[in-house]
Amino acid sequence: MRDRELTERRLDEAAEITALLRDLLIVRRAEERLSAMFADGEVPGFIHLSIGQEAVSVGVMRALRVEDTLASTHRGHGHAIAKGMPLEGFFSELLAKNEGLCRGRGGSMHVADMSVGMLGANGIVGAGLSIALGSALAHKTLGRNAVAVAFFGDGALAEGLVHECMNLAALWKLPLLFVCENNGWGEFRPTSQQLAFALGDLASAYRIPHRIVDGNDVVAVAEAAEAVVRSIRKGEGPAVLECMTVRVRGHFEGDAQKYRDQAELDAMTERDPIRVVCERLAACGVNDTDLDGLTREVDAVIEAAVAAARRGTDPDPVAARHDVYTDGAAA
Amino acid sequence: MTEIRYLKAVNTALSDAMDADPSVVLMGEDVGEAGGPFGASRGLLERFGPSRVLDGPISEAALAGAAVGAAMSGLRPVVEIMFMDFTTLVMDAMVNQAAKVRFMFGGQTSVPMVLRTPHGGGLGAGPQHSQCLEAWFAHVPGLKVVCPSDPASAYGLLRAAIADPDPVVFVENKALYAMKGEIADPPAPFAIGRAAIRRSGTDVTIVAYGAAVHTAGTAADRLAERGVSAEVVDLLSLQPWDEATVLASLSRTHRLVIVHEAVEAFGVGAEIAARMAQVGFDELDGPIMRVGAPFMPVPFSKGLEAAYMPSVDAVLQAVDKTLE
Amino acid sequence: MSGGNPLLMPKLGLTMTEGLLAEWRVSPGTTVRPGDVLFVVETEKIATEIEATAEGRIETLLVESGKTVPVGSPVALWTGPPPGGDATESAAATAPEPAPDVVPESRAAGRPDGRTVATPLARRIARQSGIDLSTVRGSGPRGRIKAADVEAVQTSPAPAVRASVPTSVRQPTNVERIVADRLSLSKRTIPHFYVLADADVTELEHVRAELNADRTGTRITVNHFIIAATAAALRAYPDFACRWTDAGIESLPVGAVGIAVDTPRGLMVPVLADAGARGIESIADAAGDLVTRAREGRLTPDHMGGAAVSISNVGMTGASMLVPIVDPDQSAILGAGAIRSVFRPDAEGRPVLRREVGLVLSCDHRVFDGMRAARFLDAVVSALNHPVRSIRTPDPGRG
Repeated sequence: MRDRELTERRLDEAAEITALLRDLLIVRRAEERLSAMFADGEVPGFIHLSIGQEAVSVGVMRALRVEDTLASTHRGHGHAIAKGMPLEGFFSELLAKNEGLCRGRGGSMHVADMSVGMLGANGIVGAGLSIALGSALAHKTLGRNAVAVAFFGDGALAEGLVHECMNLAALWKLPLLFVCENNGWGEFRPTSQQLAFALGDLASAYRIPHRIVDGNDVVAVAEAAEAVVRSIRKGEGPAVLECMTVRVRGHFEGDAQKYRDQAELDAMTERDPIRVVCERLAACGVNDTDLDGLTREVDAVIEAAVAAARRGTDPDPVAARHDVYTDGAAA
Repeated sequence: MTEIRYLKAVNTALSDAMDADPSVVLMGEDVGEAGGPFGASRGLLERFGPSRVLDGPISEAALAGAAVGAAMSGLRPVVEIMFMDFTTLVMDAMVNQAAKVRFMFGGQTSVPMVLRTPHGGGLGAGPQHSQCLEAWFAHVPGLKVVCPSDPASAYGLLRAAIADPDPVVFVENKALYAMKGEIADPPAPFAIGRAAIRRSGTDVTIVAYGAAVHTAGTAADRLAERGVSAEVVDLLSLQPWDEATVLASLSRTHRLVIVHEAVEAFGVGAEIAARMAQVGFDELDGPIMRVGAPFMPVPFSKGLEAAYMPSVDAVLQAVDKTLE
Repeated sequence: MSGGNPLLMPKLGLTMTEGLLAEWRVSPGTTVRPGDVLFVVETEKIATEIEATAEGRIETLLVESGKTVPVGSPVALWTGPPPGGDATESAAATAPEPAPDVVPESRAAGRPDGRTVATPLARRIARQSGIDLSTVRGSGPRGRIKAADVEAVQTSPAPAVRASVPTSVRQPTNVERIVADRLSLSKRTIPHFYVLADADVTELEHVRAELNADRTGTRITVNHFIIAATAAALRAYPDFACRWTDAGIESLPVGAVGIAVDTPRGLMVPVLADAGARGIESIADAAGDLVTRAREGRLTPDHMGGAAVSISNVGMTGASMLVPIVDPDQSAILGAGAIRSVFRPDAEGRPVLRREVGLVLSCDHRVFDGMRAARFLDAVVSALNHPVRSIRTPDPGRG
């Protein structure tokens, strides 16, 4: 399903958009479920939610194939789920179960699924860029017609590694898509207070094509992503896709966001990706979208995954030590 | 047996590994056209082409990070960091990424990459081009650290490091690059985690690695003149290190001296001393002694640096102390 | 770190190397004036009150009471003057010298704190071989016992296998341990030889009875006469007042006689320094005082040392003779047994009832030969035969 390309023929545009809506809902409802479970104390540690930014994950992923890879951020649930990480493995991991895809060792900030090319969420801001860079290098060196995607937020733009990676990607003409989820915030302050430059200027300094898209419009993101991924796959080198989006929740779950303006928070519902996609459907002449029905259907899938995750077992400390090294030798 | 230089052994190991496995690629500053800052990759660009010998810009962090991503995506990258002092710039890639991936992702994947880097003083390179920082890496679960002492071990360990599924920090001593030594024909890989007994003895065990193995060897010669029989154990691997061989040697000699060029405090020697005090306590017939650099940066002046580097005399004094 | 100058364990005798800090009389914060007692030291010979020599305030006690420390090691810090009153010496004394260095290297296993210093391997070998490490002499730094030291014991003749009879072991008292050490040293280093004689004390017993009949002071005993006789023999052979030292043969005061005293804490040997200058009654008084002090632990350095010869008398028992061990600081000791009645032939060969005491003079062959020892013993016997001579206060001019 994931490697199905969004066709240009748009013979069944509405069906395609409905599929995008469903994917959006899966990410949204999964994170809302997590939020509730976190509030109940069922999810250990701390979590960063991407509610409001789902259209970036879902839209970009629509342009990718299973062999394409991505490196994510600390706000990576959407990337993982949209790339195809199974929900049961996802929830099991978030609940620190041995049945989690990372066997309860990584948690929210390190969800990963190598089988779908999801190279991991990352607790270090900017680190994912160099991982994706290396993955793109592998694709190129090994002659795969695959693309690597580096997701990062606008807050990461102040990291020196971003500069190093853009330079190298351009220099080596790597099949690497830089996807900036520009939500305007770097932790607790607006990035306007943190950055003296615009991403477009930075990209042009490296002569990397740069494109800005409405990151809350999943169809716009998908179309833009498809276009840039196509050029990357043709060997034209890296591209930057800057998705303008909103961070609805705080930097981390539990962040009261006292630093944010109420007007901004109110305005966010106007641009909610689900609302936007419903408008898209209406524009296609579909006015009878059963959002509630779709949500119930998605919720049923999520509840099944949560129930399965809750049945999981606690990780085994001995087995954990055996995975420090591949040969099982614990130091 | 043929005789080759240490640097050539490194070069040959890279070349043989690239021949044997097309997924092996080299990355680093000036590793291509220039043949490497010290000449370790000389001729490899010509042989294997620019897709496998990648001249990188001065971007240690991105190169190391890219090696992690590449290793997760099917390559076996060998990154060269020109001086070990510059590994400060790759710490996130090595410590938070390479070392963690296998564990953190539940064993889904490994990171088969090698970080080659030369350490060591004695060349007047000063405080930022001479440091021995291997203990930092040995402290990080998930990384392996090796440090060959001669051409044969340089070849053998580099082949083993490249073949290893986990990230390996391969530490070369730049003062040894010109050293000549015998190497088997065809040269053989060394197992990571195994020490070598360079010289058998009965009175005291001297454990060393890298260039310090030769300091220990000279000290053993001098001790032999005085009728003291020293066993020299070349660690070769620092993480994991060959606890069994060191313990077996200590059980024969009952006295232990550990020598390394790195700063003594909180160093590799501290770990070995602590473990031996724990598992070899009843074997000890004298205090465990360490010989390492003093707690100061590596100085530039020739005289200062000579005083800084652990000397044969310092080893002899330590041996005397434990034999008292 | 607390400030202050160190108070040191004093050296109270020529051979004192360590002292037991028996009791503290001050505590941190105590202000003392000259003459105030700071602490009590017990050595092999005596318990001594150590007094403050200046004003000062005690800052820190460095040694717990009950611990034995080497002479010269700091036992406390105080605000008083540094040892020797010299600033540089003070600095040296307060410098953070590694503590173990003050322990003499030559000491056998065992430190002042009672801990045996041995390497782990030495301990393992000792454990496996059933060797008591406290009996092993360490050849390493600060007396550290090494594997080779234990192996040396291992290869020496094995002790007789003991039957596994239940036994109990108690720690010796300080005095017992010191006496044991000193007597072991004596038997190891002094080549002993012995001369024996029987002294006729028939007349002495009469004289003694008469003297005691009109005496109010200390009862005069046979032992007091033996002291007087020994002092008389020393007057006759003044070169007998000497002893062997590493530096050479040392002359000692001629009039001094040591007296072995059995005390509740062990054997002690106070010295009657001027026995040679006293008559029998004065000897009785002075010796009585010494014995009382020894038994009550009130001896001072003035009561110790300086004698070449001591007396050890077991006459209160039925033992006919005592062959004693020479004190390591002396050169001879006279052992006296019980007085017994014997028949001796008179000039005509008829048996006559006499009273006699058996004497044994143990001597250090490094300083005396048999003839000198025999002559000395003869002089003692002669003096006992003529008790009236002992009544008089000796003429110093004859000394």
